Amino acid sequence: MFGDSKLLKSISSVLSIRGNELSLVFAIIAIIGTTIALDSSRSYIEYPGTSAIDVLRNASLLTIFALGASVIIISGGIDLSAGSMIAFSGTVIACSMLGLQSLGTPESPTAPWIVISGGICAGLLAGFLVGSLHAWLIISVGLPPFVATLATLVGLRSLARILGESTTSVLLSAKKSQIPIEQPFYTDFLRENVWIWIATAVLLAIFTAVLLGYTILGRHLYAMGGNEQAALLSGLRTDRLKWFAYVFGSMTASLAAVFYLANEGVSAPVTQAVGHELNGIAAAVVGGCSLQGGIGTVSGTLLGALFLRTVIDAVAKIIKTGADVWQGIIVGVVVVLAVTLSQYRSSRAAGRKLFAGPLGLLAIVILASLTGFLVATTSGATVGFSAFTLLAALMLGYRSFESYR
Amino acid sequence: MPESNITPLIQLKRIGKSFPGVRALDEVSFDVAPGELHAICGENGAGKSTLMKILSGVITRYEGDLVIDGDKVSFTSTRDAEVAGISIIHQELNLVEQLSVSANIFMGRELQDHFGFRKDRLMNAQAKELLSSLECTIAPTTLAGSLRVGDQQLIEIAKALSLQSRILIMDEPTSALTESEVARLYRVIEKLRSNGTTILYISHKMDEVFHLSNRITVLRDGQFIKTLETASTSPKEITHLMVGRPLEQADSELEIEGSQNADQMQNREVVLRVESLSLAWPGHARGYRLKDISFDLHRGEILGIAGLMGAGRTELLESLFGATSIAPTGRITLDGQTIAPRHPSEACRAGLALVTEDRKRLGLLAKMNVGRNITICSLEKATTGWFLSPSRETTLASAMVTKLLVKTDSLRTPITTLSGGNQQKCIVARWLLTNPKVLLLDDPTRGVDVGAKAELYRLIRSLCKEGLSVIVTSSELPELLTLSDRIVVLSEGRQTAIFQRSEATQPKIMSALT
Repeated sequence: MFGDSKLLKSISSVLSIRGNELSLVFAIIAIIGTTIALDSSRSYIEYPGTSAIDVLRNASLLTIFALGASVIIISGGIDLSAGSMIAFSGTVIACSMLGLQSLGTPESPTAPWIVISGGICAGLLAGFLVGSLHAWLIISVGLPPFVATLATLVGLRSLARILGESTTSVLLSAKKSQIPIEQPFYTDFLRENVWIWIATAVLLAIFTAVLLGYTILGRHLYAMGGNEQAALLSGLRTDRLKWFAYVFGSMTASLAAVFYLANEGVSAPVTQAVGHELNGIAAAVVGGCSLQGGIGTVSGTLLGALFLRTVIDAVAKIIKTGADVWQGIIVGVVVVLAVTLSQYRSSRAAGRKLFAGPLGLLAIVILASLTGFLVATTSGATVGFSAFTLLAALMLGYRSFESYR
Repeated sequence: MPESNITPLIQLKRIGKSFPGVRALDEVSFDVAPGELHAICGENGAGKSTLMKILSGVITRYEGDLVIDGDKVSFTSTRDAEVAGISIIHQELNLVEQLSVSANIFMGRELQDHFGFRKDRLMNAQAKELLSSLECTIAPTTLAGSLRVGDQQLIEIAKALSLQSRILIMDEPTSALTESEVARLYRVIEKLRSNGTTILYISHKMDEVFHLSNRITVLRDGQFIKTLETASTSPKEITHLMVGRPLEQADSELEIEGSQNADQMQNREVVLRVESLSLAWPGHARGYRLKDISFDLHRGEILGIAGLMGAGRTELLESLFGATSIAPTGRITLDGQTIAPRHPSEACRAGLALVTEDRKRLGLLAKMNVGRNITICSLEKATTGWFLSPSRETTLASAMVTKLLVKTDSLRTPITTLSGGNQQKCIVARWLLTNPKVLLLDDPTRGVDVGAKAELYRLIRSLCKEGLSVIVTSSELPELLTLSDRIVVLSEGRQTAIFQRSEATQPKIMSALT
C-alpha cells in the first residue's frame, strides 16, 4: 500500500527491507499516533516508559513462539498446538519444581537454582519430545501436519491437567490442577526485569535469522517449503528437516512458557495461553510468511508480532476494557486486512472484485453490521447506527465503482 | 475448404495481454474460418496458451476485440464461452479424479428431476453413448482418476461434445498418447470435422500439424507472425518462422560424431552395471513395475531408454536413484561397488544424479532465484565454518552459468522467469556441481523449445566427452536416435531389446515397444 512512492522504495532498499515490512513499520507508527490522539487518559504521553515496557513484554513473548511458527510455516508445515504446548510446558515446569522442592526438607530445602534450572530444563525437554512426536506422526505415520498438531492441540491441555492433578495428589496429597510457583527468585526476577524478555526474544530472533539466512539447514528448509518433492529428489533429507522444524517450533513454545509461567505465578492448564497458537501463526502471516511454504523472514515475523501487540494495546487503551476481551476479534481482523492489502494489487490485476454478486452484497451487510455493533457497544447505539450506515454506503459506493472499472 | 468469401467464424482483432513484467500477447489479429482445422504454432512462451485462455473465457481482461459470428463478445467466465459454443481441452487435464467419468462429463450441467435429485442413470446412459461415438468402451461409472491419460483426454472430448461445441480448442493433445491412441484421436478429429466442428489445434509437432490442418498460424514472442495455407508451406518454413532464424544442422552433426563415438564405446570400462533389477507393484494385476532389467553403462556413453507411457522409464531411473517408495530387487554396481540407495541423498553421495521428468513439479524450486536453484545440492562446498558464504556460493553458481551458457540477467533472477530450456540447464547445473559419475536424464527436453533442444543435445554430448556417463529417456524416438550410443527398449516393465546405434531404426524400436 505504500510501495508506489519512489522515496519509500529508496528508503526500503537502503534499509534492505521489503515493501511489506516497510508498510508494517509505518502501520505501527500510525497506530501509536492514533492511540496518542484518541486515548483520553493519555497514558502513552504520561507514562511512556511503562506503556512501552508493557507492549514490548507482550510482543517479546509473542515473538518467541511466533519465530517457531515461522520456521514451521517456511518449511511448508503448520503447528496448531503452540498454545497448548505453552500450557503443557508450564505444567511440566511447575510439577518438576514441586518435585525438586519435595526432595529437600524444611531444614535443608533444595537449592533454588537447582529447582529453577531443573524446572526449565524439564519444560524444554517436554517441547523437544512433543516436537519429535509431531515429526514422527507427520513423517512416519503420514498424517497431515494439520491433523497431527490438531490432535496435540486438544490432547496436551488435557494431559497437562492429568499431570498436574496426579503430581499434586502424590506430592501435596490434594488433587489440584493449578499449581502455584513458590520460587520468588524465578517469578519476581522475570517479572521485574523485562529486559530479559526482550533480550531473549532478540537473541532468539538473531539465532533464527542466522540459521535461516546463513546455514545449509536454513536454505534446505526454504527449499523443502517451496517444493517438497523437488527437495527430496535433490537429495535433501526432508525427514530430518521436518523433525528440526517441529522440534524448534515446540521448543520455542516451551521457552515462551518459562516467561508465561513466571508472569502468572501459577500453572493453570485449562486457561493459560488459550488460542496463542493462532496469534503466533497470525504474526508470521502478517509478517509475510506464506502458508504455502518457502517464503518468510525473521524481520517480518518480528514486525508482525510487534504490530499485533500494538493494535491490541491500542484498542485496550482507547476503549478502556481488558485487552483480552478484544484480542480475538483484533487478531482476526488484522490478519484478514494485512493479507488482503498485501494481495490487493495482484488480485486487482487478475480482475478479482471484492464485492461482486449477491455474496458481495451479503458481505457488505455483514461487515457493516459487525462494525456497527462493535461501535455501538463502546460508544452507544446512535453512533453505532451511523457507523453502520456510513460503512455500508462507502462499501456500496466501492462496489459500484468496481463494477464499472 | 476455407474460402475468402466465407465470413470468418472467429475474428481476433489486435488482441493484447500483459502480465507483470511480460508482454504475453501484442496486437495479435487473425481469422478462423468455419469448419476448418486451424493449427497454432509457436515456441514455448510465444503466447499460444494465453491466446487460447482468452478465447475460452479463462482470461477475461485483455486488450482488443474478440469477434464471433460477426458479433463482438466479452466473456466473463468459461461458462459464457461454453454458451457461445467454445470449449477447450487443456494440456493439463481438468478432471476431478475422485468422481466418475459421467460425473465429470456432466459437471456443472448435472441433470436433475423436479425434486432436485440427480438423474444419475440418465447421465450414465448419455455418457456411454457419447463415449461409444469416440470408440471408447469405458464404463461411465469408472473413476476418472483410474484411467490412462489417453482415455482421460477422450473424457474431456466427450465433455466438449456433450456441450455441442461448435469450436473446440485442443492444447498439445498428443503429448501423452501412445501411437494407437494418437491414431484414435485422429479418427475422432475427422469425425468432428465432418460434423462441421471448427478446431483450433495447438502443437509443436510438425507431422501432426501437417497431417491435420487446413491453415497454420505462427506466433512468436507474443506477436502474430503469419497465417499460411498448409498445402503451400513446409515444416521447414514453419519451424523457421517459429524460431525466427533458420535452424542449424546441429542434429546431423551430432549424429556423425555420435556414431564414431559408439564404436569405441564397447572397449571402455563399465561405470554402472544393472543386473536383473525388478520393482514390485503391490495390488496391481501385473505385479511388477519393472522385471529383470540388465544392462551396462560405459564411461562417456549415452544410453537411451525407449518406452511408451507406463513402460517403466521413469521407474527405472527412480529405482537407480533410490527414489521409489518400495525397494527394488537386483544388483546395481557403480564403479565396481555394489550400491543399494534407499534415499536420493544416498544415491547422490554414491555419484548418481537425476534430472526429473516433471520439471515444474519435481525439479524447480520455484520460489528461489537462479543461483540458489543451482547450488541447492552442493551447499557444503560453499561454507566457511558453519555458515554459508554468499561469495563462495556465487562463485559456484556463476561458474556453472558460464559453462552451460544459461541465459539469465543475474543469479538473483527468479528461476520461473527463465525459458524452459534455460530452466532445464539450471537443473543440469545443479547436478553437475555434485560431480556425478552417472547422470540420469528423464525426458530432458520436455517443454523445451526447438532451438534450445539442439543446444541441450550438444551440451549432453560435450559432458560425455569429459567422461560423464548418461542414461536418457525420451518420449520422442527421433530424439533418442539422435542422442544415444545404445538404446534399451522397455515394454510394460520388461526389457524387450537393446540396440546398438548402428542397428537402431525407428521401425525396429517401434516393434519392440509393444
